[in-house]
Amino acid sequence: MHGIHDLGGMHGLGPINPEKDEPVFHEDWEKRAFALFAGTFVFGGYTVDEFRHEIEKMDPAHYLEATYYEHWLAAFEGLLINHGHITRKELDDRIAQLKKESH
Amino acid sequence: MLLTPDLVPTIVATGASARVNEHVAPRFRVGDRVRVRNHNPTTHTRLPGYLRGKIGIIEQDYGVFAFPDTHAHGLGEKPQHCYSVRFTAREVWGSLASDRDTLRVDVFDDYMDLD
Repeated sequence: MHGIHDLGGMHGLGPINPEKDEPVFHEDWEKRAFALFAGTFVFGGYTVDEFRHEIEKMDPAHYLEATYYEHWLAAFEGLLINHGHITRKELDDRIAQLKKESH
Repeated sequence: MLLTPDLVPTIVATGASARVNEHVAPRFRVGDRVRVRNHNPTTHTRLPGYLRGKIGIIEQDYGVFAFPDTHAHGLGEKPQHCYSVRFTAREVWGSLASDRDTLRVDVFDDYMDLD
C-alpha cells in the first residue's frame, strides 16, 4: 500500500532528532498499550503483518499527528472490530462513557 | 487463546518473529544484480515505494520468513528468502545524491528479478 506510512525519500519533514535518554514510555497509558499488543495478538489471532497494515490504513492526516503508541491503539481497535471481537458501537459507547466519567 | 503470564517473557523478548523453519530455495545469491519489480499493490507490502524499478546487489541472505504481502491478508505464509540488498544513493535518489553513499534495504524474493 502506497500510503502515508511510506515516508522514505519525502522532503520537508525536518531532521530526525532522537531524544537524549529517551524513556521507554512517555505516558503511563503507553505501558498498557504495549501490554495490549501481546494480549490482543494471542487472543485476536492476527499476524504482525495484519497489525502493520491496520496502521497503514489510518487516516493520513491523523497518522502524521499521532504518536507511536497511538498508531498501535488504532490498530488494536481496527483489528478487534475486523475480527468480530467488539463492534464499532461498543467502542464508541465505551469512549463516550469514559469521557463522561472524566468530567 | 488467552495470554497467560508464562507466555509473556517469550513474547516480549522475541516479539512476533516472522522467521519460518522451512527449507525454501533462494532465488538469488550474494553478489547477484537484481532489479526491483514495479510492485505497487493497494494491499500490504514491505517494499518501500522508492525502490520500485531500482537496481541493487544482493549483499546478504537472512534466511526464510513469512511473506508479509500474503500473511497480512490471511493468504498464508508463502515462506521465502529475505535479503539485504545494496543500492547506490544515485540509483535511488538521482544525480543530486552523493556518489559515495549507499543504502541497504531488506527485500523479499518476490519483489525482485535478476537484472
